[in-house]
This record gives sequence, C-alpha cells and structure tokens, in this order.
Amino acid sequence: MSFARPARCLFCNFSRNAIPGTRVPRRQFHPTPAPLSNRKPKIPSVKAPEKQNGSSSRQDLKPEDFKAYTEEETAHLAKEYSAAQMEAIKAGEAAISPKDLSEQSVRRTDPYRFKYLDDFSVIEPGIDRHVRAPETNSDYNFKLKSEDQFIEDFGRFFAESNEDIRPADFVRFAESLRLTEGKEENELNPHSALVPDLFGPGETIDEPRVEERKTAAEKGEKERSLEAEELTDALKSLLLATGYTERQVRELRTKTLVSHSVVNQTRLGKVRRAYRLSVAGNGNGLLGIGEGKSEEAADAKIQSQYRAIRNMQPVPRYENRTIFGDVKGKVGAVELQLMHRPPGFGLRTQHLIYEMCRAAGIHDLAARVNRSRNKMNTVKAAYEALMSQRDPEEVARARGKKMVDVRKVYYAGKV
Amino acid sequence: MSLVNLAHVCSHLNNATKARLSLTSIPNSNLHLKLCLAMQNSGYLSSVVRGGPTPPPAHPILGYPAANDEAEGVEAVTRDNVASRRLWLGLKYWKNESVLGKVKMVSKPTRRVNIDVEGLRRVVRGEDAGSVGGLRSPGESLFLSTDRGILEARECVEKKIGGLVLCRVL
Repeated sequence: MSFARPARCLFCNFSRNAIPGTRVPRRQFHPTPAPLSNRKPKIPSVKAPEKQNGSSSRQDLKPEDFKAYTEEETAHLAKEYSAAQMEAIKAGEAAISPKDLSEQSVRRTDPYRFKYLDDFSVIEPGIDRHVRAPETNSDYNFKLKSEDQFIEDFGRFFAESNEDIRPADFVRFAESLRLTEGKEENELNPHSALVPDLFGPGETIDEPRVEERKTAAEKGEKERSLEAEELTDALKSLLLATGYTERQVRELRTKTLVSHSVVNQTRLGKVRRAYRLSVAGNGNGLLGIGEGKSEEAADAKIQSQYRAIRNMQPVPRYENRTIFGDVKGKVGAVELQLMHRPPGFGLRTQHLIYEMCRAAGIHDLAARVNRSRNKMNTVKAAYEALMSQRDPEEVARARGKKMVDVRKVYYAGKV
Repeated sequence: MSLVNLAHVCSHLNNATKARLSLTSIPNSNLHLKLCLAMQNSGYLSSVVRGGPTPPPAHPILGYPAANDEAEGVEAVTRDNVASRRLWLGLKYWKNESVLGKVKMVSKPTRRVNIDVEGLRRVVRGEDAGSVGGLRSPGESLFLSTDRGILEARECVEKKIGGLVLCRVL
C-alpha cells in the first residue's frame, strides 16, 4: 500500500466535488468543529418564494380577498335566484366575516395538523364521545320573573284556554307556572350543597325500619298477652329474658340427659334433692346446657330445661353438618375428643354426645371419651369442646395467611 | 442437629405463650434459626432476630425487634460473640389468644421420624401416616427438615420432598 498521495491538479482542491470517492473523516487538530456546510442536506432546501408559487391559491388568503358582491354581480345573481334566495345569500354573506373565512377555510399545514380530513363541527355518534347531559341543573343566569311577565303568562293562559275555565285547569296552570327565567331544572331540582341522606326516613344501618320493628314488637306482645294466662312465672321470665314466644320455646329441642339425686348432709340429717342436666338447641346451630336442682324431680327438670334454653349459644358448624377440626375437652377426669367426619358419616358417638349433636344440628361426628365417663362431666366436656372450635377465618387473620376451603373450591361452592 | 435442644425450645415456646410474653429468646443455632424462620413464614411468629444476651432494641414503628431495622442494625456474628448469641422471637396474639397454640415434637432424640412424600400427602389430607398423625384442625402445621431446608408439610408436598419430621404446631 502506498501512502503517497497521487498528484492532483492544484485547482481541483478548490472544488470539493472534484474529490473522488467518499471522504474519510480525519482527526482534527483544532477545536473548531468540522465544517458541515459542504454536506448535502437530506431534504433539498426550498426557497420561500418558490414555495409560495408552488402552493395552491387558497393558501395565505387575506380578509381583503373576500369582497362583497359588486352591483354587477348581484344583478347577475338576481337573474338566477329569486328575491327570497337573494335575501338568504345576503344574510349568509353578512353572517361570516371575511377574517374567519381567511383564517379557517384554509387547509392546515402546521406539524400538529390532523392526518385526515374531517368536519369537527359535527358530532358523529359512532366515533365521537356521547354528548352528555350537563352535570348540574344549576343556571347561574336565572332571573325572577317580573310582574309584567306574570301578567303576560296569565294573559296567555286566558287567551289559549277556552271560555269555560274549570278550577282544575287553573290549578294545573298555577302548578306549572314558572317563577324564574332560565333553565327549568334549576327551578324544579336545584343544586344543593348538602350531602344527600344515607338512609330514607325511618331507615337505619342494620336494624329494620322503625315501623316494622314496632309492629314486630307489638305482635310479640300480643302473642305473649294471649298466652300469658296459662304461663308459669318461670316460663314468663324465660320468655322475657330470651325474647322467644311460647311456641318458639316449645319447638326447641330439649333433652334431659343426666338425672340423679343429690344429698346435702346437715346436722338435721340428709336433705335429698333431685338433680337434672338438660341440653337445649334449635337443631340449627344453637346449643345450651342447664342444670337444675329441686326437691321435686319435675321442678328440677323444668328448671334445667329453662336454664339450658337461656344458655343457648351458637355452635360453629362446618357446612352446617360437622365441626371445624378435631377438638378436645376436659372437665374433671373426663377427657374427650370430637372428630369431624365426611358427609353421610352420621353421629357415631355415645348417647350423651349424640343427643347434644342432635340438638345443635350436627350430623357427622365421631367422639372418643377417655379416662372417666362420668355422664355429667361428659356433657360439660363435650359442650366445652364444641365451643372451643377454631374459626378458620380467625386463624387466617391471626397468621396473616390466606386460607382456602378446598372442598368448597372443588365443588364450586355448592357444598 | 440436636433434637434435645429443639425439644427444649418447643417446651420453652409453650411456656412463653402460656405466660403471654411478647418477646422471648432461645439458644442460637442454625436449626433453631431456620425452624423459627419457617414458623415466621407461616405466620406464627412476628419476628426472629439474632441478638446478644439482652433483647435487641424495638423497631420504632413495629414495636418489636426487627431483623431489617435500619436505625439500629443487627450485630454481625463473629467468632468472639457467637457463643453469646440468642434468637429473639416475637410472639403473636390475636383476639386474646396466642397464635402459636402448642408446639409439640414429633421426632424425639431417641427416635427420629422420617416421612416420604406419599406419607406426607396422607398427613396433609388429615389421615395418619405411620406414627405421624394427620393435620386435622384448621391452622395446624407440621415442620420438616428436608434437603432444601426446614419447610412446612404442605410446602414439602408441593415440592415433592420428604424429610425428618421435627415438630407439630397447633
């Protein structure tokens, strides 16, 4: 490779076009930027007068270009058009000022112009947004009608209506008579700065309406008053405490599970009394146990049953048939375990727990009673175990974990 | 892997929750740390911080010591201070009951219980597998030591790995 440059014409250096081939950028030894003037611009620069000449005649219109019709022209037009049409043409000419015509009737050439032609003065339903009704009914320019306007309204009413004006017509007129000028909605449904009420009249957030509540209370009182003559004091106080009616109490499932006699040893001798332990439930998730002691066995039974009804509490039930998880209970020496079971398993438990489950509405359960099997303590321990169930929702919230009932997911919530 | 010390930790946690402590400490070891982190991951513990013999300062906002406390920082474990390190655990309570119900060892120092994936599947479904009882209550979990660290039984089933059953938390 030869580094020697070929000999060149001295004058050729003055014209850049004479240099053959591409120019290789060379390192500059001075801070002045490399001259770019010799580079050809990508877009050939068009001189301004050229552009004016090349563009259409509609560009750069001035207001002076839109002149009114001369007399000759009007005379010529009058041959073609009727007098009414001529009037319309004049009115149209007068309506649009030459300035607007010059500015707005020109096709835009600025870089922000739209890439398509469209008439933006028309709203096209498929393309443009809907024209909504105004959001407020307010009209800030409303005026109260003056007396003269009222008189006019009355006059119009009398003029338009027939001669036999009935009072009903006049009432209708008076009701529909507007007192203000401006938007009608402003008068009929004016804007209010007040927050709208959360509840309608008589409504509260969780309780039924006041009237409904009252009627329910009256109904209950009526029913109670009808049956009050036959009620014992104990039952009356039970109804008062629980809010049930006598019929509802009769429909509850009560069962006396434990009955034996207890003895109090005094210095006068042994005082025997009857002891009864009953369970009560509504068969749908409520369960309570109660103990009663009395000299009379029947009294003790009633007492225990009423106490059981008073003590009724909701028992958590999984799918309204079994319990949440396995639970343990311990009272005295009785230690028992209640185990949840699949649907259709039944109540495979001893009779005491069976009766409790029947009363509470549990259908699938297994139980194991260890150590002692004392009847009274078995019932109490089973009650304790049933009440000690852990709610999965609470567990999930306590641990901050999401829990999913897989059965519910599998059966799509139909279990 | 000393299951004796782990058993002490389990009974200590039971005692601490019964005493309703909010912060307690256990001896530092990698096994304890990983088990505690697994329990924290399951939501049983609020915080696990490796600190000295005195409890680390509480996080200004959380109210209990936090491992990611930027203001205080956690003292690095060195050869000099490793013997005095303890794990400080924040215990959780919800609606007047401790979240960590009862921690019970499954493997014993004298009898280690291993379980395979098949057995674990049964356990997770609530059935017994060998000497390991099923997880039959809501919120019950079983922690296993596996090749991939200490994991909860359901995670093990997900990853199809068995391991040494450490403890059961109810």
